[in-house]
Amino acid sequence: MIANEETLKNLMVRAQKGDKQSYSVLLEQTGRWLGRYFSNKIASDAIDDLIQETLISLHRKRDSFDPTRAYLPWIAAIARYRWVDKLRQTYKHQAGTLDFDIAEEGHEDVVGAKISIDRLLTMLPEKQAEVIKLVKVEGYSIAETSDKTGQSESLVKVNVHRGLKKLATMIESE
Amino acid sequence: MQNNFSIDDLVNDLTPVKPMNINKGLALPAVIVTAFAALFISQLGLRSDLAAGNPAPLILMRGGILLLLGFATAHAVVHMAQPSVGKGNQGWIWAVGAALLFPVSALIVAISAISSDMPVTVNTGWYCLKMCLAASAATAIPMVLWLRKGAPTSLERAGWLTGLAAGGLGAFAYSFHCPFTKVMDISVWYTAAIVTSSIVGRLIVPRLIRW
Repeated sequence: MIANEETLKNLMVRAQKGDKQSYSVLLEQTGRWLGRYFSNKIASDAIDDLIQETLISLHRKRDSFDPTRAYLPWIAAIARYRWVDKLRQTYKHQAGTLDFDIAEEGHEDVVGAKISIDRLLTMLPEKQAEVIKLVKVEGYSIAETSDKTGQSESLVKVNVHRGLKKLATMIESE
Repeated sequence: MQNNFSIDDLVNDLTPVKPMNINKGLALPAVIVTAFAALFISQLGLRSDLAAGNPAPLILMRGGILLLLGFATAHAVVHMAQPSVGKGNQGWIWAVGAALLFPVSALIVAISAISSDMPVTVNTGWYCLKMCLAASAATAIPMVLWLRKGAPTSLERAGWLTGLAAGGLGAFAYSFHCPFTKVMDISVWYTAAIVTSSIVGRLIVPRLIRW
């Protein structure tokens, strides 16, 4: 079971004061939370890397947490930033292994729909979101994605590029 | 998986940190703007109407709009260092809207060709532009350092806003000396300074604050 917002926030406040025990629990709990957050949003073999990168960002940027505000929206902003950054890298894996639309059971209870990655993707035009899921998340080639969506190959490339650029501007949107 | 990653290493590396404070982030740009205003006044002189205690209404309006634009956008920049999903900070958009008053006025003046406001003063204008940009560059430095310390998630927007804030504040500092009295001169040269600063911010700042 993952700690709730209030507990995580208290742990983070103590961590900012240098409490190592609280920090250890916070990192462990946040790591588990991130595992669910990124579940089905990137290839399973890339999730561990993404969680680690996000935790390292948490560590480096821990003074950017405002103790008067909530913890989960803060870590979600960092997680989304790392996720988009990962998608923008030339990242490939075996295609067809994810069911993007099915979230893990209980995911929404823990994360909150407003700060989820699904929510972020719904803000994109449908055609851009579709090709990003296929090419960048599920790992299909441009040609395969073109066949699946009916978009020309050049349009797939343009939509992936534009969609990722737009995602990068909407990280903090809910 | 990254081979060298360990939660224990992060825990062992933990040191106490003070949460970033918005007021602290705004203080240094404010100090630099004040210092540049003092420098312009001491080296180039205070505008004669300001010195006489009888400023023209247009000049007061110009100062107010530049300060509003600079402060609202600097506030947004400083906020961007502390990310949070759902945190709206769109106040700067209204300040930009207010600042558009000058270029729109210039356009109307140009179209209606009001003789007393034409043509634009070129030599003094170039000088004004250079001084504004010098003050803007100095004002941008603490904002960039603040963003580097924090975790801005929209790098391009942070670049635009840093340039816009620095442009507005730099122009405000120079406005204490600036001898212009015509809306056309003010609109053309101040708009040029702010737009140039914004473009430079967009081009340079994202590379400096990537994390």
